[in-house]
Amino acid sequence: MNNVKKRTKMLYTCCLLAAMAFFAIGCGGGEQAMQDENELNVVMGLGENEWEVMRQDIFPEFEEKHNVTINAVQSEAADVVDQLRGQIEADRVTYDLITQDVNDLYGLVDGDMMDDLTDQKENIPDEVIEAMIDVSTFDDKLLFLPYRPNVEITYYNEKVFDEYDITPPQSWEDLLEVAKTFHAEEDIGRVAVKANLEIDHVLHLFNFIRAGGGDPYVLNDEGSVRAYEFLQELYPYLAPDSRTATWNTMNTYLANESVYLGQNWPFGVNVIVEEGGKEEIKAYSGWAGPAGESHTLGGEVIGIPKGAPNKALALEFAQYLMSKEVQETLVSKLGWPSVRTDAYGQVEAWQQPYFDAVNEALQSSEPRGNVPYWPEVEKAILGAFQDIVIDGQEAQTTLDRYAETIEQARQ
Amino acid sequence: MKTRQTDLWGAISRYGTFPFLILFSFVMLAPVYIMFKISVSEPQDILTQNPPFLIENFTFDHWVRVFEAGNLWAPLLKSFMVASVATLIAIAIAAPAAYVISLMPKAYRYGIILSLLFTRMFPDVGIALPISVNFIRWDLTDSYVGLILAHLIPNLPFLAWILVGTFETIPRELEKAALIDGASRWGALQRVVFPIAAPGIAVGAMFVWLNSWNEFTYALYLTYTENTLPLQTYYYVSRGDWFQSAAYSMILTIPVIIVTFFLQRYMKSGFLSGSVKG
Repeated sequence: MNNVKKRTKMLYTCCLLAAMAFFAIGCGGGEQAMQDENELNVVMGLGENEWEVMRQDIFPEFEEKHNVTINAVQSEAADVVDQLRGQIEADRVTYDLITQDVNDLYGLVDGDMMDDLTDQKENIPDEVIEAMIDVSTFDDKLLFLPYRPNVEITYYNEKVFDEYDITPPQSWEDLLEVAKTFHAEEDIGRVAVKANLEIDHVLHLFNFIRAGGGDPYVLNDEGSVRAYEFLQELYPYLAPDSRTATWNTMNTYLANESVYLGQNWPFGVNVIVEEGGKEEIKAYSGWAGPAGESHTLGGEVIGIPKGAPNKALALEFAQYLMSKEVQETLVSKLGWPSVRTDAYGQVEAWQQPYFDAVNEALQSSEPRGNVPYWPEVEKAILGAFQDIVIDGQEAQTTLDRYAETIEQARQ
Repeated sequence: MKTRQTDLWGAISRYGTFPFLILFSFVMLAPVYIMFKISVSEPQDILTQNPPFLIENFTFDHWVRVFEAGNLWAPLLKSFMVASVATLIAIAIAAPAAYVISLMPKAYRYGIILSLLFTRMFPDVGIALPISVNFIRWDLTDSYVGLILAHLIPNLPFLAWILVGTFETIPRELEKAALIDGASRWGALQRVVFPIAAPGIAVGAMFVWLNSWNEFTYALYLTYTENTLPLQTYYYVSRGDWFQSAAYSMILTIPVIIVTFFLQRYMKSGFLSGSVKG
């Protein structure tokens, strides 16, 4: 009987608590997302140390000058697209400014989510790298503003390379040789290429095709055939981790030494070397193909969503992010390469070799190119990889077939 | 002969269960242990081709950094409040509803249970966007209320479905006896039915709490400036900081253990034994 009473009381207490909590939260908990004109909602996808620099060295000056509060929102590139889609459909856009990965712009553009910033072209400083303006332009419309260039560099485990008396590969021939050596010595591949049949993989294939002298948007030219044939030869000696290697997991594979050589974005330096203490992981720009070295230009651009509440202020902030002063702070505090040719900064001593590798890779970087039929290109490039490299089909005829699908999409 | 077979099966089940339970527990606990190990190990013990199974160089540095970063308490509080309030509201609504459904004739009851299950057939990812659009229109973004309501969408039918089964197992005779003894309908319900259903309600509550605590999709759409703990953990995971990710994942696990421990007291069998004479 006592038990019954106890449990009855418990149930009542639960119901009462629920009602009280809901009422209290509804009245006071959780601030609403509505903002006033003295607030700027800025969306960025950054790591912890990068946010620290933003909050301490970049935001305060702008906030003081414009008497505004910056609400910083952390969101990864793919999530921004989903969140903005929801806000635009609801006709309640709360984001004033987003910074987005240049190779993840298609969803935003295809969804017609971004303001046309063509009239802002004259406000872009002359010193800004031209290629970053190219990646921001779609159908002759400037939809984004340049802010941060980036490029993949090649990481390698110096300790292991020294053990086997190998030098980092400078050419395709070297790369194949290194891959074969590791495979022979360890009975498993230790060289990784991102071969996950996703966007990271597409960028790597762009690098190979262009380094082979081909055009990824043509796909059945001599250079493309050469690239796919080389990959077909290289593939059996690659690390099994290649199939799951992404911009995130590649760091893990390098750090736990299941991979001795692999390309990734420079943020890996902070994760592998600074956080993980793996000082034996070194970096250089990378290897060259028959037509030279090629890196797909990455980085981030600034966009203003359609219906942004504080567009004028957001444009001011975009100008501020492109300024020489801010760019120099980003170089010296974070080791980011500058979007301006006149912005220099002194990075920390330990970062210098990695920073040099990034700058060297940037010299041979090319924008991926913005075409309205991008999904078809992506599908064709990956499909060709599956058929030729994994399934062993003949390169030329297979690429002819996929080139035809791109041509049809173009027309 | 039959007795011998029975003895044999008895022995097998007696002695065979134990190793199976040990194996099962190991499979369940090993990932949690590995996560804990990463969160309290020096990088050189983890970032190697063959990491040891046991903790060799213990360090609290990663935990300290998580606490020092100052990004933990707000998401932790938000997740806890949202999960707890969503659970309480779900119980308050679903328990009476489930009781009523359990009293209905079989044909109706079956249809209603099917319709409850029907709402669970759509993946959250598929319906989250259209639902979130309405929530954004109603200014329910970045608010506790919005997230609580969003979490009730998948959890209410789920809890009601669980509780219908619970109420069905309670003999009607007990309620009738209470009514004969002079209790009102509501009195019988609160003094007899709900207390007996407490174990089922506890199980349901635990599921709802865990679902809400771990919920990600709605949180992603409806949260901008103040993350929930799963979003905060995702942020560290996607940025590739292994050690802080592990520490956050452990922090995400601790309240689950506490809540489970608290609610498992109500999950006792044998409540109904001897309640009705045959």
